[in-house]
Amino acid sequence: MEMSGELALETENLRKVFRNGWSAREVVAVDEISLKVKRGTTFGLLGPNGAGKTTFVKMVLSSCHATAGVARIFGKDSRLPEARRPIGYLPENHRFPTYFTGAGMLDFYAALSGVSAASRRTLIPELFERVGLDRQWMDVRIGKFSKGMLQRVGLAQALIHQPEMLILDEPSDGVDPVGRRQIRDVLRTLESGGVTIFLNSHLLEEVEMFCSEVAIINKGRVALQGRVADLTAGKGFRLVASRNGTRRELHVGTQAEANRAIDELRREEFEVESMQATASRLEDVFIQVVEKR
Amino acid sequence: MTTVALIVDTFREAMARKIFWGLFGLSALMILFFLFLMRIDVVEGAVATITLFGNERTTRADVNVDELIRQVHSSIAGFLYTFGMFLAVFASAGLIPSVLEPGRIELILSKPVSRWQILLGRFAGNILVVAANITFLVVGVWLIFGWKTGVWTTAFLVTIPATIILFFSLLSIVAWAGVLWESTAVSTMIPVVVMILSPVLAQNRIAERLLSSQWSRDVWNTLYYALPKVFDTGRMTLNYVQGKPAGDWMPLWSSALFGIVILGWSLWIFEKRDF
Repeated sequence: MEMSGELALETENLRKVFRNGWSAREVVAVDEISLKVKRGTTFGLLGPNGAGKTTFVKMVLSSCHATAGVARIFGKDSRLPEARRPIGYLPENHRFPTYFTGAGMLDFYAALSGVSAASRRTLIPELFERVGLDRQWMDVRIGKFSKGMLQRVGLAQALIHQPEMLILDEPSDGVDPVGRRQIRDVLRTLESGGVTIFLNSHLLEEVEMFCSEVAIINKGRVALQGRVADLTAGKGFRLVASRNGTRRELHVGTQAEANRAIDELRREEFEVESMQATASRLEDVFIQVVEKR
Repeated sequence: MTTVALIVDTFREAMARKIFWGLFGLSALMILFFLFLMRIDVVEGAVATITLFGNERTTRADVNVDELIRQVHSSIAGFLYTFGMFLAVFASAGLIPSVLEPGRIELILSKPVSRWQILLGRFAGNILVVAANITFLVVGVWLIFGWKTGVWTTAFLVTIPATIILFFSLLSIVAWAGVLWESTAVSTMIPVVVMILSPVLAQNRIAERLLSSQWSRDVWNTLYYALPKVFDTGRMTLNYVQGKPAGDWMPLWSSALFGIVILGWSLWIFEKRDF
Protein backbone atom coordinates (compact mmCIF):
# COMPACT_ATOMS: atom_id res chain seq x y z
CA MET A 1 0.00 0.00 0.00
CA GLU A 2 1.34 3.41 -0.98
CA MET A 3 1.61 6.10 1.61
CA SER A 4 -0.28 9.20 0.54
CA GLY A 5 3.00 11.15 0.72
CA GLU A 6 4.45 8.97 -2.04
CA LEU A 7 1.60 9.82 -4.33
CA ALA A 8 1.60 13.01 -6.30
CA LEU A 9 -1.95 12.48 -7.47
CA GLU A 10 -4.63 10.14 -6.28
CA THR A 11 -8.23 10.00 -7.37
CA GLU A 12 -10.89 7.81 -5.82
CA ASN A 13 -13.98 7.01 -7.87
CA LEU A 14 -13.96 10.43 -9.45
CA ARG A 15 -17.20 10.93 -11.34
CA LYS A 16 -18.69 13.77 -13.32
CA VAL A 17 -22.21 13.87 -14.63
CA PHE A 18 -23.27 16.84 -16.70
CA ARG A 19 -26.95 17.62 -16.56
CA ASN A 20 -28.83 19.59 -19.15
CA GLY A 21 -31.05 21.93 -17.19
CA TRP A 22 -33.92 21.96 -19.68
CA SER A 23 -34.19 18.37 -20.79
CA ALA A 24 -32.77 16.89 -17.54
CA ARG A 25 -30.65 14.64 -19.78
CA GLU A 26 -27.52 13.31 -18.11
CA VAL A 27 -24.13 12.74 -19.69
CA VAL A 28 -21.52 10.79 -17.74
CA ALA A 29 -18.23 12.40 -18.71
CA VAL A 30 -16.05 10.69 -16.12
CA ASP A 31 -17.17 7.43 -14.57
CA GLU A 32 -15.52 6.60 -11.27
CA ILE A 33 -11.89 6.97 -12.24
CA SER A 34 -9.40 5.88 -9.63
CA LEU A 35 -5.79 6.67 -10.47
CA LYS A 36 -2.57 6.75 -8.53
CA VAL A 37 0.39 8.72 -9.81
CA LYS A 38 3.56 8.22 -7.80
CA ARG A 39 5.77 11.15 -6.95
CA GLY A 40 8.51 11.66 -9.53
CA THR A 41 6.91 9.64 -12.34
CA THR A 42 6.11 10.77 -15.84
CA PHE A 43 2.51 9.83 -16.39
CA GLY A 44 0.62 10.01 -19.65
CA LEU A 45 -3.15 10.24 -19.89
CA LEU A 46 -4.46 8.99 -23.21
CA GLY A 47 -7.85 8.60 -24.74
CA PRO A 48 -9.84 9.39 -27.84
CA ASN A 49 -11.67 12.70 -28.22
CA GLY A 50 -14.53 12.98 -25.75
CA ALA A 51 -13.13 10.23 -23.52
CA GLY A 52 -13.22 12.51 -20.48
CA LYS A 53 -9.51 13.42 -20.22
CA THR A 54 -10.00 17.17 -20.01
CA THR A 55 -12.92 16.87 -17.59
CA PHE A 56 -10.76 14.61 -15.43
CA VAL A 57 -7.92 17.15 -15.39
CA LYS A 58 -10.37 19.98 -14.68
CA MET A 59 -11.74 18.09 -11.69
CA VAL A 60 -8.24 17.48 -10.39
CA LEU A 61 -7.62 21.22 -10.64
CA SER A 62 -11.06 22.10 -9.26
CA SER A 63 -12.17 24.21 -12.18
CA CYS A 64 -14.93 21.64 -12.55
CA HIS A 65 -16.70 20.15 -9.53
CA ALA A 66 -16.83 16.37 -9.18
CA THR A 67 -20.29 14.82 -8.88
CA ALA A 68 -18.75 12.15 -6.66
CA GLY A 69 -15.34 10.96 -5.54
CA VAL A 70 -12.28 12.79 -4.42
CA ALA A 71 -8.94 13.93 -5.87
CA ARG A 72 -5.86 14.42 -3.74
CA ILE A 73 -2.70 16.25 -4.66
CA PHE A 74 0.24 15.21 -2.50
CA GLY A 75 -2.31 13.92 0.01
CA LYS A 76 -4.39 17.13 0.16
CA ASP A 77 -7.95 17.44 -1.09
CA SER A 78 -7.59 19.20 -4.46
CA ARG A 79 -10.57 21.44 -3.71
CA LEU A 80 -8.43 23.32 -1.21
CA PRO A 81 -6.57 26.20 -2.87
CA GLU A 82 -3.47 25.29 -0.89
CA ALA A 83 -3.43 21.81 -2.47
CA ARG A 84 -2.89 23.42 -5.88
CA ARG A 85 0.19 25.36 -4.80
CA PRO A 86 2.69 22.65 -5.91
CA ILE A 87 1.07 22.36 -9.34
CA GLY A 88 2.14 23.97 -12.58
CA TYR A 89 -0.53 23.76 -15.26
CA LEU A 90 -0.60 24.43 -18.97
CA PRO A 91 -4.11 24.12 -20.40
CA GLU A 92 -4.73 23.00 -23.95
CA ASN A 93 -6.75 25.83 -25.44
CA HIS A 94 -5.27 28.54 -23.29
CA ARG A 95 -6.19 32.12 -23.94
CA PHE A 96 -3.63 34.40 -22.35
CA PRO A 97 -4.83 38.02 -22.25
CA THR A 98 -3.23 39.82 -25.18
CA TYR A 99 -2.64 43.01 -23.18
CA PHE A 100 0.15 41.28 -21.30
CA THR A 101 3.74 41.47 -22.36
CA GLY A 102 5.59 38.17 -22.09
CA ALA A 103 7.19 39.23 -18.81
CA GLY A 104 3.97 40.82 -17.53
CA MET A 105 2.10 37.59 -18.05
CA LEU A 106 4.67 35.55 -16.15
CA ASP A 107 4.69 38.16 -13.40
CA PHE A 108 0.89 37.95 -13.00
CA TYR A 109 0.67 34.17 -12.84
CA ALA A 110 3.72 33.98 -10.57
CA ALA A 111 2.09 36.47 -8.18
CA LEU A 112 -1.05 34.30 -8.13
CA SER A 113 1.16 31.33 -7.27
CA GLY A 114 2.63 33.24 -4.35
CA VAL A 115 6.09 34.01 -5.77
CA SER A 116 7.59 37.13 -4.19
CA ALA A 117 8.25 40.21 -6.32
CA ALA A 118 12.02 39.91 -5.83
CA SER A 119 12.06 36.27 -6.98
CA ARG A 120 9.86 37.11 -9.95
CA ARG A 121 12.34 39.69 -11.15
CA THR A 122 15.15 37.14 -11.31
CA LEU A 123 13.10 34.11 -12.39
CA ILE A 124 11.33 35.66 -15.39
CA PRO A 125 14.42 36.30 -17.58
CA GLU A 126 15.82 32.88 -16.61
CA LEU A 127 12.63 31.11 -17.60
CA PHE A 128 12.48 32.89 -20.93
CA GLU A 129 15.83 31.40 -21.79
CA ARG A 130 14.99 28.02 -20.33
CA VAL A 131 12.00 27.54 -22.63
CA GLY A 132 13.96 28.78 -25.63
CA LEU A 133 12.56 32.29 -25.96
CA ASP A 134 14.82 35.23 -26.61
CA ARG A 135 14.81 37.82 -23.82
CA GLN A 136 13.84 40.52 -26.33
CA TRP A 137 10.33 39.05 -26.31
CA MET A 138 9.90 39.84 -22.64
CA ASP A 139 8.58 43.31 -23.37
CA VAL A 140 6.51 42.41 -26.42
CA ARG A 141 2.77 42.02 -26.08
CA ILE A 142 1.82 38.37 -26.31
CA GLY A 143 -0.76 39.23 -28.94
CA LYS A 144 2.26 39.29 -31.26
CA PHE A 145 3.47 35.81 -30.23
CA SER A 146 3.16 32.82 -32.57
CA LYS A 147 1.37 29.64 -31.45
CA GLY A 148 4.66 27.94 -30.67
CA MET A 149 5.90 30.92 -28.69
CA LEU A 150 2.66 30.98 -26.72
CA GLN A 151 3.20 27.32 -25.81
CA ARG A 152 6.69 28.12 -24.61
CA VAL A 153 5.64 31.12 -22.56
CA GLY A 154 2.74 29.01 -21.28
CA LEU A 155 5.20 26.37 -20.15
CA ALA A 156 7.28 29.09 -18.49
CA GLN A 157 4.24 30.27 -16.48
CA ALA A 158 3.67 26.67 -15.37
CA LEU A 159 7.28 26.45 -14.15
CA ILE A 160 7.70 29.85 -12.54
CA HIS A 161 6.85 28.80 -8.99
CA GLN A 162 9.08 25.71 -9.20
CA PRO A 163 6.21 23.22 -8.98
CA GLU A 164 6.50 19.66 -7.69
CA MET A 165 4.04 18.46 -10.28
CA LEU A 166 3.35 19.61 -13.81
CA ILE A 167 0.04 18.99 -15.53
CA LEU A 168 0.47 19.62 -19.23
CA ASP A 169 -2.33 19.47 -21.75
CA GLU A 170 -0.90 19.04 -25.26
CA PRO A 171 2.32 20.91 -24.41
CA SER A 172 3.88 20.63 -27.86
CA ASP A 173 0.75 21.61 -29.78
CA GLY A 174 1.76 24.05 -32.52
CA VAL A 175 5.45 23.85 -31.68
CA ASP A 176 7.98 23.11 -34.43
CA PRO A 177 10.21 19.98 -34.15
CA VAL A 178 13.15 21.94 -32.71
CA GLY A 179 10.84 23.49 -30.15
CA ARG A 180 9.39 20.10 -29.29
CA ARG A 181 12.82 18.77 -28.54
CA GLN A 182 13.59 21.83 -26.42
CA ILE A 183 10.37 21.34 -24.46
CA ARG A 184 11.18 17.65 -24.05
CA ASP A 185 14.65 18.55 -22.79
CA VAL A 186 13.17 20.96 -20.25
CA LEU A 187 10.78 18.26 -19.09
CA ARG A 188 13.59 15.67 -18.91
CA THR A 189 15.59 18.02 -16.68
CA LEU A 190 12.56 18.48 -14.45
CA GLU A 191 11.95 14.75 -14.35
CA SER A 192 15.51 14.11 -13.25
CA GLY A 193 14.97 16.72 -10.55
CA GLY A 194 12.09 14.65 -9.17
CA VAL A 195 9.20 16.67 -10.60
CA THR A 196 6.11 14.59 -11.34
CA ILE A 197 4.91 15.14 -14.89
CA PHE A 198 1.34 14.43 -15.89
CA LEU A 199 0.98 14.63 -19.64
CA ASN A 200 -2.31 14.77 -21.45
CA SER A 201 -1.53 14.39 -25.10
CA HIS A 202 -2.90 13.05 -28.35
CA LEU A 203 0.63 12.47 -29.60
CA LEU A 204 1.10 8.82 -28.71
CA GLU A 205 4.70 8.79 -29.88
CA GLU A 206 5.46 11.68 -27.59
CA VAL A 207 3.85 9.91 -24.64
CA GLU A 208 5.63 6.64 -25.46
CA MET A 209 8.94 8.40 -25.75
CA PHE A 210 8.54 10.44 -22.60
CA CYS A 211 6.26 8.73 -20.08
CA SER A 212 7.04 5.79 -17.86
CA GLU A 213 3.38 5.10 -17.02
CA VAL A 214 0.15 5.63 -18.89
CA ALA A 215 -3.57 5.31 -18.44
CA ILE A 216 -5.89 5.02 -21.39
CA ILE A 217 -9.37 6.26 -20.72
CA ASN A 218 -12.31 5.59 -22.92
CA LYS A 219 -15.93 6.60 -22.45
CA GLY A 220 -15.12 8.06 -19.07
CA ARG A 221 -13.51 4.93 -17.63
CA VAL A 222 -9.95 3.72 -17.26
CA ALA A 223 -9.62 1.11 -19.98
CA LEU A 224 -5.97 0.25 -19.37
CA GLN A 225 -3.26 1.41 -17.04
CA GLY A 226 0.32 0.35 -16.62
CA ARG A 227 3.99 0.90 -17.30
CA VAL A 228 4.77 1.82 -20.89
CA ALA A 229 7.53 -0.82 -20.95
CA ASP A 230 5.06 -3.52 -19.96
CA LEU A 231 2.35 -2.40 -22.35
CA THR A 232 4.74 -2.37 -25.28
CA ALA A 233 6.46 -5.65 -24.28
CA GLY A 234 5.61 -7.23 -27.65
CA LYS A 235 8.47 -5.28 -29.17
CA GLY A 236 11.31 -7.49 -30.57
CA PHE A 237 12.13 -9.82 -33.51
CA ARG A 238 10.23 -12.50 -35.36
CA LEU A 239 12.24 -15.40 -36.81
CA VAL A 240 10.89 -17.86 -39.34
CA ALA A 241 12.89 -21.02 -40.08
CA SER A 242 12.15 -24.38 -41.74
CA ARG A 243 13.59 -27.91 -41.90
CA ASN A 244 12.29 -30.66 -44.18
CA GLY A 245 8.96 -28.91 -44.62
CA THR A 246 8.58 -28.11 -40.92
CA ARG A 247 8.13 -24.40 -40.26
CA ARG A 248 9.08 -22.82 -36.99
CA GLU A 249 8.30 -19.26 -35.81
CA LEU A 250 10.07 -17.62 -32.90
CA HIS A 251 9.57 -14.33 -31.07
CA VAL A 252 12.47 -12.86 -29.17
CA GLY A 253 12.84 -9.59 -27.32
CA THR A 254 16.33 -8.37 -28.18
CA GLN A 255 18.85 -8.52 -30.98
CA ALA A 256 21.23 -10.62 -28.86
CA GLU A 257 18.47 -13.13 -28.21
CA ALA A 258 17.73 -13.19 -31.95
CA ASN A 259 21.38 -14.02 -32.71
CA ARG A 260 21.43 -16.77 -30.10
CA ALA A 261 18.20 -18.20 -31.54
CA ILE A 262 19.69 -18.19 -35.07
CA ASP A 263 22.77 -20.07 -33.78
CA GLU A 264 20.51 -22.63 -32.14
CA LEU A 265 18.40 -23.04 -35.26
CA ARG A 266 21.46 -23.47 -37.46
CA ARG A 267 22.82 -26.11 -35.07
CA GLU A 268 19.56 -27.96 -35.47
CA GLU A 269 19.99 -27.61 -39.27
CA PHE A 270 17.09 -25.24 -39.73
CA GLU A 271 17.17 -22.83 -42.66
CA VAL A 272 16.43 -19.26 -41.48
CA GLU A 273 13.82 -17.90 -43.88
CA SER A 274 13.34 -14.46 -42.44
CA MET A 275 14.01 -12.23 -39.48
CA GLN A 276 11.80 -9.17 -38.90
CA ALA A 277 11.80 -6.51 -36.27
CA THR A 278 8.38 -6.37 -34.67
CA ALA A 279 6.99 -3.40 -32.85
CA SER A 280 4.13 -3.32 -30.41
CA ARG A 281 3.89 0.42 -30.14
CA LEU A 282 1.69 2.35 -27.76
CA GLU A 283 -0.41 3.28 -30.75
CA ASP A 284 -1.20 -0.40 -31.35
CA VAL A 285 -2.12 -0.84 -27.70
CA PHE A 286 -4.23 2.32 -27.77
CA ILE A 287 -6.15 1.27 -30.88
CA GLN A 288 -6.74 -2.22 -29.53
CA VAL A 289 -8.07 -0.85 -26.25
CA VAL A 290 -10.28 1.78 -27.82
CA GLU A 291 -11.68 -0.51 -30.51
CA LYS A 292 -12.31 -3.37 -28.08
CA ARG A 293 -14.63 -1.24 -25.97
CA MET B 1 -0.47 39.45 -2.72
CA THR B 2 -2.91 37.48 -4.90
CA THR B 3 -5.74 39.97 -4.39
CA VAL B 4 -3.41 42.85 -5.24
CA ALA B 5 -2.29 40.97 -8.37
CA LEU B 6 -5.91 40.52 -9.43
CA ILE B 7 -6.70 44.21 -8.83
CA VAL B 8 -3.60 45.32 -10.73
CA ASP B 9 -4.55 42.96 -13.56
CA THR B 10 -8.00 44.58 -13.78
CA PHE B 11 -6.35 48.00 -13.99
CA ARG B 12 -3.99 46.71 -16.67
CA GLU B 13 -6.89 45.36 -18.71
CA ALA B 14 -8.88 48.59 -18.24
CA MET B 15 -5.90 50.55 -19.52
CA ALA B 16 -5.32 48.20 -22.46
CA ARG B 17 -8.97 48.44 -23.45
CA LYS B 18 -8.68 52.25 -23.16
CA ILE B 19 -11.45 52.20 -20.53
CA PHE B 20 -9.37 53.90 -17.90
CA TRP B 21 -7.89 56.42 -20.31
CA GLY B 22 -11.27 57.13 -21.90
CA LEU B 23 -12.86 58.00 -18.56
CA PHE B 24 -9.73 59.82 -17.45
CA GLY B 25 -9.65 61.84 -20.70
CA LEU B 26 -13.27 62.88 -20.29
CA SER B 27 -12.70 63.95 -16.69
CA ALA B 28 -9.51 65.80 -17.68
CA LEU B 29 -11.38 67.59 -20.46
CA MET B 30 -13.99 68.85 -18.01
CA ILE B 31 -11.34 69.95 -15.55
CA LEU B 32 -9.38 71.75 -18.27
CA PHE B 33 -12.58 73.46 -19.42
CA PHE B 34 -13.17 74.93 -15.97
CA LEU B 35 -9.49 75.68 -15.51
CA PHE B 36 -8.78 77.57 -18.71
CA LEU B 37 -12.00 78.50 -20.46
CA MET B 38 -14.11 79.69 -17.56
CA ARG B 39 -13.11 82.70 -15.50
CA ILE B 40 -15.09 84.05 -12.58
CA ASP B 41 -14.43 87.48 -11.09
CA VAL B 42 -15.75 87.92 -7.59
CA VAL B 43 -16.32 91.34 -6.06
CA GLU B 44 -17.29 91.52 -2.39
CA GLY B 45 -18.77 88.02 -2.23
CA ALA B 46 -20.82 88.40 -5.40
CA VAL B 47 -20.01 87.32 -8.95
CA ALA B 48 -19.13 90.37 -11.01
CA THR B 49 -18.26 88.77 -14.36
CA ILE B 50 -18.14 85.28 -15.82
CA THR B 51 -15.93 84.80 -18.87
CA LEU B 52 -16.69 81.79 -21.01
CA PHE B 53 -14.63 81.09 -24.18
CA GLY B 54 -13.44 84.73 -23.90
CA ASN B 55 -16.99 86.19 -23.86
CA GLU B 56 -17.43 88.31 -20.80
CA ARG B 57 -20.83 88.43 -19.11
CA THR B 58 -21.73 90.74 -16.32
CA THR B 59 -24.02 89.10 -13.84
CA ARG B 60 -26.78 90.59 -11.76
CA ALA B 61 -25.52 92.13 -8.57
CA ASP B 62 -27.48 89.69 -6.44
CA VAL B 63 -25.78 86.53 -7.81
CA ASN B 64 -24.17 85.05 -4.76
CA VAL B 65 -20.87 83.32 -5.51
CA ASP B 66 -21.57 80.58 -3.00
CA GLU B 67 -24.89 79.85 -4.66
CA LEU B 68 -23.30 79.82 -8.12
CA ILE B 69 -20.62 77.35 -7.03
CA ARG B 70 -23.25 75.08 -5.50
CA GLN B 71 -25.14 75.20 -8.80
CA VAL B 72 -22.04 74.27 -10.78
CA HIS B 73 -21.22 71.52 -8.31
CA SER B 74 -24.72 70.10 -8.53
CA SER B 75 -24.53 70.15 -12.34
CA ILE B 76 -21.37 68.06 -12.19
CA ALA B 77 -23.01 65.72 -9.66
CA GLY B 78 -26.05 65.46 -11.93
CA PHE B 79 -23.78 64.60 -14.85
CA LEU B 80 -22.15 61.86 -12.78
CA TYR B 81 -25.51 60.29 -11.84
CA THR B 82 -26.75 60.22 -15.42
CA PHE B 83 -24.13 60.11 -18.19
CA GLY B 84 -21.33 59.25 -15.77
CA MET B 85 -23.04 56.09 -14.51
CA PHE B 86 -24.03 55.04 -18.03
CA LEU B 87 -20.47 55.56 -19.24
CA ALA B 88 -18.96 53.73 -16.29
CA VAL B 89 -21.26 50.72 -16.75
CA PHE B 90 -20.82 50.63 -20.55
CA ALA B 91 -17.06 50.97 -20.29
CA SER B 92 -16.39 48.49 -17.54
CA ALA B 93 -19.10 45.84 -18.01
CA GLY B 94 -16.73 43.63 -20.00
CA LEU B 95 -14.06 43.45 -17.33
CA ILE B 96 -15.79 40.74 -15.29
CA PRO B 97 -17.03 38.42 -18.08
CA SER B 98 -13.64 38.65 -19.81
CA VAL B 99 -11.86 36.87 -16.96
CA LEU B 100 -14.37 33.99 -17.22
CA GLU B 101 -13.49 33.24 -20.85
CA PRO B 102 -12.68 29.58 -21.53
CA GLY B 103 -8.93 29.05 -21.62
CA ARG B 104 -8.35 31.92 -19.23
CA ILE B 105 -10.39 31.03 -16.17
CA GLU B 106 -9.11 27.44 -15.96
CA LEU B 107 -5.56 28.67 -15.60
CA ILE B 108 -6.45 31.17 -12.87
CA LEU B 109 -8.50 28.53 -11.04
CA SER B 110 -5.51 26.15 -11.12
CA LYS B 111 -3.56 28.61 -8.95
CA PRO B 112 -3.73 28.48 -5.15
CA VAL B 113 -6.41 31.14 -5.05
CA SER B 114 -9.97 30.87 -3.72
CA ARG B 115 -12.78 31.50 -6.14
CA TRP B 116 -14.18 34.31 -4.01
CA GLN B 117 -10.78 36.01 -4.13
CA ILE B 118 -10.78 35.89 -7.92
CA LEU B 119 -14.21 37.46 -8.30
CA LEU B 120 -13.74 39.97 -5.50
CA GLY B 121 -10.31 40.95 -6.85
CA ARG B 122 -11.83 41.66 -10.26
CA PHE B 123 -14.78 43.45 -8.71
CA ALA B 124 -12.59 45.61 -6.50
CA GLY B 125 -10.31 46.43 -9.44
CA ASN B 126 -13.31 47.50 -11.48
CA ILE B 127 -14.63 49.68 -8.64
CA LEU B 128 -11.19 51.27 -8.22
CA VAL B 129 -10.90 52.10 -11.94
CA VAL B 130 -14.17 54.04 -11.81
CA ALA B 131 -13.60 55.43 -8.31
CA ALA B 132 -10.22 56.85 -9.35
CA ASN B 133 -11.85 58.72 -12.22
CA ILE B 134 -14.80 59.99 -10.17
CA THR B 135 -12.41 61.21 -7.47
CA PHE B 136 -10.17 62.83 -10.07
CA LEU B 137 -13.10 64.71 -11.63
CA VAL B 138 -14.82 65.80 -8.42
CA VAL B 139 -11.66 66.79 -6.54
CA GLY B 140 -10.31 68.49 -9.67
CA VAL B 141 -13.43 70.60 -10.16
CA TRP B 142 -13.68 71.32 -6.45
CA LEU B 143 -10.06 72.54 -6.31
CA ILE B 144 -10.42 74.72 -9.41
CA PHE B 145 -13.57 76.45 -8.20
CA GLY B 146 -12.17 76.79 -4.71
CA TRP B 147 -9.00 78.37 -6.09
CA LYS B 148 -10.87 80.66 -8.51
CA THR B 149 -13.56 81.85 -6.11
CA GLY B 150 -12.29 81.14 -2.62
CA VAL B 151 -15.45 79.10 -1.90
CA TRP B 152 -14.52 75.75 -0.41
CA THR B 153 -17.88 74.10 0.15
CA THR B 154 -17.24 70.49 1.11
CA ALA B 155 -20.77 69.25 0.40
CA PHE B 156 -19.77 68.56 -3.22
CA LEU B 157 -17.22 65.98 -2.06
CA VAL B 158 -20.10 63.80 -0.82
CA THR B 159 -20.70 63.05 -4.50
CA ILE B 160 -17.59 60.81 -4.45
CA PRO B 161 -18.78 58.17 -1.95
CA ALA B 162 -22.40 58.45 -3.13
CA THR B 163 -21.57 57.77 -6.80
CA ILE B 164 -19.12 55.02 -5.88
CA ILE B 165 -21.77 53.29 -3.75
CA LEU B 166 -24.25 53.59 -6.61
CA PHE B 167 -21.71 52.21 -9.09
CA PHE B 168 -21.01 49.37 -6.64
CA SER B 169 -24.71 48.40 -6.69
CA LEU B 170 -24.83 48.53 -10.51
CA LEU B 171 -21.56 46.62 -10.84
CA SER B 172 -22.94 43.87 -8.62
CA ILE B 173 -25.57 43.31 -11.35
CA VAL B 174 -22.78 43.19 -13.94
CA ALA B 175 -20.95 40.58 -11.84
CA TRP B 176 -24.12 38.55 -11.29
CA ALA B 177 -25.02 38.51 -15.00
CA GLY B 178 -21.34 37.89 -15.84
CA VAL B 179 -20.94 34.76 -13.74
CA LEU B 180 -24.32 33.47 -14.87
CA TRP B 181 -24.05 34.04 -18.63
CA GLU B 182 -20.44 35.15 -19.31
CA SER B 183 -21.84 37.71 -21.71
CA THR B 184 -20.69 41.32 -21.83
CA ALA B 185 -23.83 42.33 -23.72
CA VAL B 186 -26.20 40.91 -21.09
CA SER B 187 -23.98 42.26 -18.30
CA THR B 188 -24.37 45.74 -19.80
CA MET B 189 -28.05 45.56 -20.64
CA ILE B 190 -29.42 44.62 -17.22
CA PRO B 191 -27.89 47.52 -15.21
CA VAL B 192 -28.81 49.94 -18.01
CA VAL B 193 -32.44 48.76 -17.78
CA VAL B 194 -32.27 49.25 -14.00
CA MET B 195 -30.96 52.81 -14.55
CA ILE B 196 -33.71 53.59 -17.05
CA LEU B 197 -36.36 52.13 -14.75
CA SER B 198 -35.07 54.06 -11.75
CA PRO B 199 -36.78 57.46 -12.43
CA VAL B 200 -39.99 55.64 -13.35
CA LEU B 201 -40.04 53.50 -10.20
CA ALA B 202 -39.18 56.58 -8.12
CA GLN B 203 -42.70 57.87 -8.87
CA ASN B 204 -44.08 55.26 -6.49
CA ARG B 205 -46.32 57.73 -4.66
CA ILE B 206 -48.04 58.72 -7.91
CA ALA B 207 -48.20 55.07 -8.95
CA GLU B 208 -49.95 54.19 -5.68
CA ARG B 209 -52.74 56.57 -6.60
CA LEU B 210 -52.95 55.57 -10.26
CA LEU B 211 -52.69 51.79 -10.05
CA SER B 212 -56.02 50.09 -9.49
CA SER B 213 -55.00 46.73 -7.98
CA GLN B 214 -53.13 46.11 -4.75
CA TRP B 215 -51.11 43.45 -6.53
CA SER B 216 -49.71 45.90 -9.10
CA ARG B 217 -48.96 48.43 -6.34
CA ASP B 218 -47.06 45.75 -4.43
CA VAL B 219 -45.04 44.81 -7.51
CA TRP B 220 -44.19 48.46 -8.12
CA ASN B 221 -43.14 49.06 -4.52
CA THR B 222 -41.13 45.83 -4.35
CA LEU B 223 -39.21 46.80 -7.46
CA TYR B 224 -38.70 50.31 -6.16
CA TYR B 225 -37.39 49.26 -2.76
CA ALA B 226 -35.37 46.28 -4.02
CA LEU B 227 -33.52 47.78 -7.00
CA PRO B 228 -30.73 50.41 -6.84
CA LYS B 229 -32.20 53.89 -6.62
CA VAL B 230 -30.11 55.81 -9.13
CA PHE B 231 -32.63 58.60 -9.53
CA ASP B 232 -33.37 59.09 -5.83
CA THR B 233 -29.72 58.89 -4.81
CA GLY B 234 -28.90 61.49 -7.44
CA ARG B 235 -31.73 63.79 -6.27
CA MET B 236 -30.74 63.34 -2.64
CA THR B 237 -27.09 64.17 -3.33
CA LEU B 238 -27.97 67.16 -5.50
CA ASN B 239 -30.10 68.56 -2.70
CA TYR B 240 -27.25 68.06 -0.29
CA VAL B 241 -24.74 69.73 -2.62
CA GLN B 242 -27.08 72.68 -3.12
CA GLY B 243 -27.36 73.13 0.63
CA LYS B 244 -30.99 71.95 0.76
CA PRO B 245 -32.16 69.22 3.14
CA ALA B 246 -31.00 65.89 1.71
CA GLY B 247 -33.96 64.07 3.23
CA ASP B 248 -34.00 60.36 3.84
CA TRP B 249 -30.73 58.51 3.13
CA MET B 250 -32.68 55.33 2.40
CA PRO B 251 -31.97 55.40 -1.37
CA LEU B 252 -28.24 55.28 -0.69
CA TRP B 253 -28.11 52.59 1.98
CA SER B 254 -30.74 50.42 0.32
CA SER B 255 -28.77 50.58 -2.96
CA ALA B 256 -25.64 49.55 -1.05
CA LEU B 257 -27.56 46.71 0.58
CA PHE B 258 -28.79 45.59 -2.84
CA GLY B 259 -25.17 45.58 -4.05
CA ILE B 260 -24.00 43.48 -1.10
CA VAL B 261 -26.79 40.91 -1.55
CA ILE B 262 -26.30 40.60 -5.32
CA LEU B 263 -22.52 40.41 -4.97
CA GLY B 264 -22.95 37.65 -2.37
CA TRP B 265 -25.27 35.81 -4.76
CA SER B 266 -22.72 36.21 -7.57
CA LEU B 267 -19.97 34.76 -5.35
CA TRP B 268 -22.20 31.80 -4.53
CA ILE B 269 -22.93 31.14 -8.23
CA PHE B 270 -19.23 31.49 -9.09
CA GLU B 271 -18.30 29.05 -6.33
CA LYS B 272 -20.69 26.42 -7.70
CA ARG B 273 -19.99 26.81 -11.41
CA ASP B 274 -18.06 24.44 -13.65
CA PHE B 275 -15.59 25.86 -16.14
